[in-house]
Amino acid sequence: MNGTAAIEVEGIAKTFRIPSEHRDTVREHVFGLLKPRRFQTLRVLDGVSFTLRRGETLGIMGRNGSGKSTLLRILAGIYTPDAGEVRAHAGITPILELGVGWNPELDAIDNVYLMATVLGLPLRAVSEALDGILAFAELERFARLKLKHYSSGMASRLAYAVAFAAVREVLILDEIFAVGDAGFRARCEARYRELREAGHTVLLVSHDPRTIATFCDRALLLDRGRILMDGPAPLVAERYVHTVAGATAPAHPVLP
Amino acid sequence: MPASNEIAHACPPIPADRQAARLTTVRPSPGIDWGGLVWTLIRTDFKARYHGSLSGFVWALLKPTAMFAVLVGVFSLVFASEPAYKLDLVIGLFLWDFFADGTKAGMTSLAAKGFLLTKARLPGWIVVVTSVANALLTLLVFAVVVTAYLAVSGAAPDPVRLLAFAGYLAALVLVVIGISLGSSVLFLRYRDLNQVWDMATQAGFFVAPIIYPLGVIPEQFHIWLYAWPPTPIMEFARAVLVDATMPTWRGHVCLALMVVAILGAGALLYRRHAPRAVECL
Repeated sequence: MNGTAAIEVEGIAKTFRIPSEHRDTVREHVFGLLKPRRFQTLRVLDGVSFTLRRGETLGIMGRNGSGKSTLLRILAGIYTPDAGEVRAHAGITPILELGVGWNPELDAIDNVYLMATVLGLPLRAVSEALDGILAFAELERFARLKLKHYSSGMASRLAYAVAFAAVREVLILDEIFAVGDAGFRARCEARYRELREAGHTVLLVSHDPRTIATFCDRALLLDRGRILMDGPAPLVAERYVHTVAGATAPAHPVLP
Repeated sequence: MPASNEIAHACPPIPADRQAARLTTVRPSPGIDWGGLVWTLIRTDFKARYHGSLSGFVWALLKPTAMFAVLVGVFSLVFASEPAYKLDLVIGLFLWDFFADGTKAGMTSLAAKGFLLTKARLPGWIVVVTSVANALLTLLVFAVVVTAYLAVSGAAPDPVRLLAFAGYLAALVLVVIGISLGSSVLFLRYRDLNQVWDMATQAGFFVAPIIYPLGVIPEQFHIWLYAWPPTPIMEFARAVLVDATMPTWRGHVCLALMVVAILGAGALLYRRHAPRAVECL
C-alpha cells in the first residue's frame, strides 16, 4: 500500500474576517448598531495542495502565522476550508494542542476516558489501555487527582500518552517533542519510531529544524499561507532556518 | 490549565524502570463509537457536577423526590380546599424546572466542551443533546414519583393517559433539544445570550400557567399563552394526570407541529452555524 495517497489536499484556502472591534455580546451588538465595523480579511491559507503518501512522514515548517495550525485543523476535520478539498483515504488521529484540553473537575482516569472516546476508542479498549497510558505518562500515583491540580507538564504528558495509544493510520502531530522533561521526550521519540516502523503515516509540524530533518522523509515550508518549498526534509529545514534568520535580521547592520 | 501547585512540584524524580513504560497501540473505531461516546459524555458530566461522589449521584435522585414531598406537603396545607390546584402547581413547577435547566445547560454546552471540540472531529450536536441529561434525570425521577403518588392516592392514570403523559414529556425534551441546538451555536457569538435567556425564562415563568390556573385569563388570550412551548405541555400533562381527561386530537396536532417547528428551526440554525462554530472557541 506504500506510495498510494493517504491524504490528498487540493487548493485549500481559508480566510478569517478580523473585525476592527470585537463584539462578543448581544449588548455590544445592540449598542454598536449605529457604529458599523470594518472587517479585514486575513487569508491564512491560499491554495495549498499536496499529497501525503501512505507510510510517509511529512514535516511542515513555517514561521508563526504561516498557516500551519489552520492547515492541521482542516486536515483533522475541525475547521472547514473556504475552498479546496481534502480527500482522506485513511483514518486520522490528530494530536493538537493537547496540553490545554481537559476537564479540570475530573480526575486523570475520567479525562482519559473522555479524550480517548472522542479520539474514537471503544470503552473496552480504553479500559484495557488505561494502565499503559498512565504508566507512559508517569502518572499512576496521581490517577485519581483532579486535573485542576496538575501542572501543565503533567497534563501534556497525559494527553500525549492517550493520543499515542489511540492511533489510526495517519497521525497528525503538532510540536510533538516539545513536551515534558528529557526522559519523557525520549519515550515519545521511541514511541514515534515504533509507530513509524509499524507503517503509520505521519504529518508532523515543528519549529525545530533538527526534528524535521531527523524524523521526516519530506517537508513543506509554509509562508503566508502558501507552500514556499516542498522537498527533502533536511533541505526544507535548512531553508526554514534561512527564512527565519532573514526575517529576524535587523534592517540596519548592528555595529560591533 | 491552572498553574502547577504543590502537588505537581512534589512529584518525585522518574524512577529508572519508568523509562521502559510502553504503550500498546489500540485501533480506534473507523467511525465514532456512539454508545461509548454518549455514555462517557453523560457520565463525566455527572461526575464533574457532583464532584465524583456516589452521594452526589444519590442526591441527584433524591432531590426531585424530596422536592416533590415538600411541595405536596406544603401545598396540601396552604391549598387544602383546592386539592387539584396543588397537583397542577407541582406538575407545572417540575416541567418548568426541566425546561429552564435543560435550555440553560444546552445553550452553554458547546462552549463548555470547547476543549474537546478543538481536539478532534466531533459532532457538536451530540455534546448539545447529552448536556440535557442531568435535567432529564430529574424529570424522569419526578415522572416516576408523581405516578406513584397518584397510584397511592387512588387516582392512578390508566395506561392510555400514562402513555400520553410520556409523550408530553418526550415533546418537552425535543423542545428543549431544539432550543439548545440553536442557542448553543449562537452563544459562541453572543457570550451574554445566557443572561438574556435567563431574563426571558423569568418572564416566561409567568407567561406559562404555573402558579395560576389558565382559566383566570380571558379566553381570547389563551392562544398567545399556548404559543409559549411549555404551556400546552403543562396543560396537557395536567389534563391526563389530574383531571383524568384527554386533550383533543386538534390539540395534539398543534403540539406536534410546534415540536417539529422548534426542533427543525434549532437544527437548521445549528446546521448553518456549526461549520464555523469551532472557530469561535
